[in-house]
Amino acid sequence: MTFFLQYVIKRTFQNMTGNLFPNFITISIIVISMLIFSTFTLIAFNLTNFLKIWEDKIEIIAYLRQGTPSSEVGPLLNKTRLLDGVEVVRYVSPDDAMGFMEMKLGRQKNLLEGIQPAFLPPSFEIQLKKDFRNSTRIKEVVTQLKEVPQFEEIQYGQEWVETFSVLVHALRLTQWILGGLLLIGIVFITSNTLQLTISSRREEIEVMHWVGARPGFIRVPVYLEGLLQGFLGGGLAILLLFLLHQGLFLYIPPSMQARMAKIPVLFLPPETIAWILLGGTVLGFFGSFVASMRVLKYK
Amino acid sequence: MNEAVIEMDHVSKTYPSQISALSDITLEILSGEFTFIAGPSGSGKSTLLRVLCCAETPTSGEVVVCGMHITGPGFKKIYQLRRTMGIVSQDFKLLRDRTVNENVAFALEVTGHTRKEAKRKASDMLSRVGLEEREGDPILALSAGEQQRVAIARALVNAPPLILADEPTGNLDAKMTLDIMGAFTDLHQKGTTIVFATQFTGLVKRYSYRVIRILGGQIVNGRKTDISKVPEVKAGE
Repeated sequence: MTFFLQYVIKRTFQNMTGNLFPNFITISIIVISMLIFSTFTLIAFNLTNFLKIWEDKIEIIAYLRQGTPSSEVGPLLNKTRLLDGVEVVRYVSPDDAMGFMEMKLGRQKNLLEGIQPAFLPPSFEIQLKKDFRNSTRIKEVVTQLKEVPQFEEIQYGQEWVETFSVLVHALRLTQWILGGLLLIGIVFITSNTLQLTISSRREEIEVMHWVGARPGFIRVPVYLEGLLQGFLGGGLAILLLFLLHQGLFLYIPPSMQARMAKIPVLFLPPETIAWILLGGTVLGFFGSFVASMRVLKYK
Repeated sequence: MNEAVIEMDHVSKTYPSQISALSDITLEILSGEFTFIAGPSGSGKSTLLRVLCCAETPTSGEVVVCGMHITGPGFKKIYQLRRTMGIVSQDFKLLRDRTVNENVAFALEVTGHTRKEAKRKASDMLSRVGLEEREGDPILALSAGEQQRVAIARALVNAPPLILADEPTGNLDAKMTLDIMGAFTDLHQKGTTIVFATQFTGLVKRYSYRVIRILGGQIVNGRKTDISKVPEVKAGE
């Protein structure tokens, strides 16, 4: 067993160093493909993260009909609190709304001169339970609110949520379609380069077949070579993506960085990195497997 | 009575282009026999040997080699079959970037022997074929006859009970041919079964071994072995 391992490691090393150029090309192509896939993964990861942060802050504003008697506000507040998915409800009176608008307008609050607070409708600010803070389940709460006759209008920024959600889904779909194509490409390229390596050892393999070498003696070094190519390709792609990610932040203007402070642009989490490395390695192995099936048949 | 090492029963081989390479071959070769497969170029000798070592699959018929039903369904262990035989071909199949000793030792290394053991056994075998002084030489520095002897040493180094030799003297001059035949005769006398394909009738006539003549893929006639001349092979040898 030890001898077998020694042989396999030595043979793999000889194969790779003896065919430097094809190996360099293969690893480079794997790096580029994996980098494209990882970049999409990183963008999708950050947008999903952004969506999650936004969803955590998601709330519904239910505007009461003008003239709703204040005696009804208390029972309505209690009724709303009992709705499925509602966590906290806060009543915003016309005066509170006016105060809020003045605060938002700051030095331009004189624009509100002449407007009576009673002109602004009273409303409920409704915060949702965690499970309901997404574009799908928020609609369940909205449907319940629409059935309450005292509410005139329900706002929850639905268009924005839906558009953003569609964007994230489209990005994920593109990531997987592009990823799938790139992965097929990786298998094809790895398998073809390994066929070159194998053909450079054709005479030796033929002799191995004649003298009765176990198929493992012939195939395992090829598998290991593919595995290493995939692992190195995946690893280098992650490293390049990390450098790009770091570099991107260096060139973002400080004013923009300050705005983005609450929405951090994260790097891929360790488990995703591990999956990408594993994916590269498995693809490299699969490429070598295809190559061995094509040209290493015992004959 | 020696057991059959090779049994072919109504074996035919037809290529997809409808060329019939072997037609209804039935033969039996006993353990310890030296058998010439004689016939002109293109008669089917090489195909017959390739069928015996599983490099070709026959279209029909059954083949048993060293007790293995190689034409049986699901026969996958070609490497086990090849370990029971030494194969010598006309084109030597030597590794040009290695020395004489490395070429012979390679057959042992890839079948699980340690490098040290392989090197020692290769040296012993090279002495048996008279190449002890050329061990460290690159293979390309050797003459054709010497290269053929290296190929024979490599075929024998695993001590197989069966040798398949396909025109092993095809490229050699008369003296070298006699040298090589001497090596094979020596092996035969030690109990190795030898199947020797050749197109040279002169060579066949020179030795009193069994001859199977083949023409157009069919056995046309043969010369039976004088059983008294076949060395007895004991079990486990």
